[in-house]
Amino acid sequence: MTDTSVETPATTAPAAIEADAAERAGGAPMIVFEEVTKIYEPNIVALRDVALVIEKGEFVFLVGPSGSGKSTMIRLLLKELEPTKGRIIVGGRELARLRRSKVPMLRRNLGCVFQDFKLLPNRTAFENVAYALKVQGESSKGIRAKVPEVLGLVGLASKMSHYPDELSGGEQQRVSIARAFVNHPPLLICDEPTGNLDPDTSVGIMQLLYRINRTGTTVVMATHDREMVDKMRRRVIALDDGAVIRDERRGGYG
Amino acid sequence: MSQQMRLFLAEAMRSLTANLSTTAAATIAVLIGMFVFGLFLAVGSYVNSWRENLENQVVVKVFFSQDATPAEIEAVRTQTLQFPQTKSMTFVSKEDALREMREKHPELTRGLASNPLPPSYTIKPKKAEQVREIAGRLDPPPPGVDTVTYKEKTTEKVLLFADVVKWGSLVGSLVLLAASTILIANTIRLSIFSRRREIEVMKLVGATNWFVRGPFMLEGLICGLIGSIIAIVLLVVGKEFALPALPFLERAGSEAEAWSFSLIALLVVGVSLLVGAMGSAITLRRFLKI
Repeated sequence: MTDTSVETPATTAPAAIEADAAERAGGAPMIVFEEVTKIYEPNIVALRDVALVIEKGEFVFLVGPSGSGKSTMIRLLLKELEPTKGRIIVGGRELARLRRSKVPMLRRNLGCVFQDFKLLPNRTAFENVAYALKVQGESSKGIRAKVPEVLGLVGLASKMSHYPDELSGGEQQRVSIARAFVNHPPLLICDEPTGNLDPDTSVGIMQLLYRINRTGTTVVMATHDREMVDKMRRRVIALDDGAVIRDERRGGYG
Repeated sequence: MSQQMRLFLAEAMRSLTANLSTTAAATIAVLIGMFVFGLFLAVGSYVNSWRENLENQVVVKVFFSQDATPAEIEAVRTQTLQFPQTKSMTFVSKEDALREMREKHPELTRGLASNPLPPSYTIKPKKAEQVREIAGRLDPPPPGVDTVTYKEKTTEKVLLFADVVKWGSLVGSLVLLAASTILIANTIRLSIFSRRREIEVMKLVGATNWFVRGPFMLEGLICGLIGSIIAIVLLVVGKEFALPALPFLERAGSEAEAWSFSLIALLVVGVSLLVGAMGSAITLRRFLKI
């Protein structure tokens, strides 16, 4: 998969992807859902008996109409919600057995990118990224070294001291990706990261996520962007009404 | 100072200065609440001491006849001391009574050939309203006793007034304290509510609850400190300038005294620090469940 580029994703054979992913995984998968059901009280079924395995190093699209359960899956992964039934294992750890006090540790190992960026409005790009390091007690020396590096990676080296409202949507999303990636987490979760962006900007964001994936980071991305999914030819998990209706190695939006 | 504390302080100062209007609102809420609190500590303790003073003046007086023997006087003393309602009693001899009369009404005592005043006992009750029972027990008067009085009319009025003052100040201070608590609580809630997205983001990038709470509680402490210091300054101004302008207090003054100002100031600062920090922490609870 290391030779895969955004422009020519289809050149890699499916078998190679699998082998590559399994090799990086060292055996254990990144994410396992075992018959997961989530019911919002009283009777809204958001997910029904979802079972899937995502290997380390994979790039996975989560597609489906609004209300099909994509966001619920992501919130379950972040342990923002608890499943009504079933088990979720992330990085070899079962989330249900993770104590509340350990949830921050889980989240430091998961990068999160959201449709609405979720940047802190009164902090500069640099400070927004630095905050993710501060919460885990990184020294200011470490912060001064790592933040410019990752902001350079996302192409914002010249806009580190800009506030979010001084940046375009695409730039804000780059800041949020930098924040998610600054810890080099093994897993990056994106909830419609291109949902608020125009198509050209979206391509740039996708290229960035791709590059991050190539460093070995597993990327799970919920999206509505049909064109993007069709172009990428990556693993697609399609949800409808809370159930997995399709799981293809090199799928299209459907 | 540990690295963590320095970080918290930096974060707290950042948001205090970034949200100046919220900071001002919270500080003013504390200021108003604590001014009212301090005022009521001062006024309440003053009124209470005045009330106690009034009640202390409620006594039973036992006047002996001119020819009462020392044995009869001693008998009354022993008997009265055994009443459960008796707190203390003092003997006023004929000479004491005359001296007192000379001081209070010199024109009446001028040219007296002999001392017409009887010896007496002044009996203090444990509770002001018990004067009636004590007087009842000395009725009919024991041998040698001329009259037993407790100024029925005055006593009733004083007791009623003391009750009104006691309950009035209690209810008044409770209502005002509740009002200022609600004011402070609402201000804190609003300021935290306006930043709930910020808190959500903090939690999502892996901040522990204490990491989010620390700066907020420090902010509460700082607002509480500033608010209470201004409140104390206002109370000093009130004490030094407004109080002397009220003439009736001079007369009511007598021996009544409010708690010392430094005690009130200490309570005001303590309560506002507690309210600031705990108020923030308690309000945050709901937003930390992410």
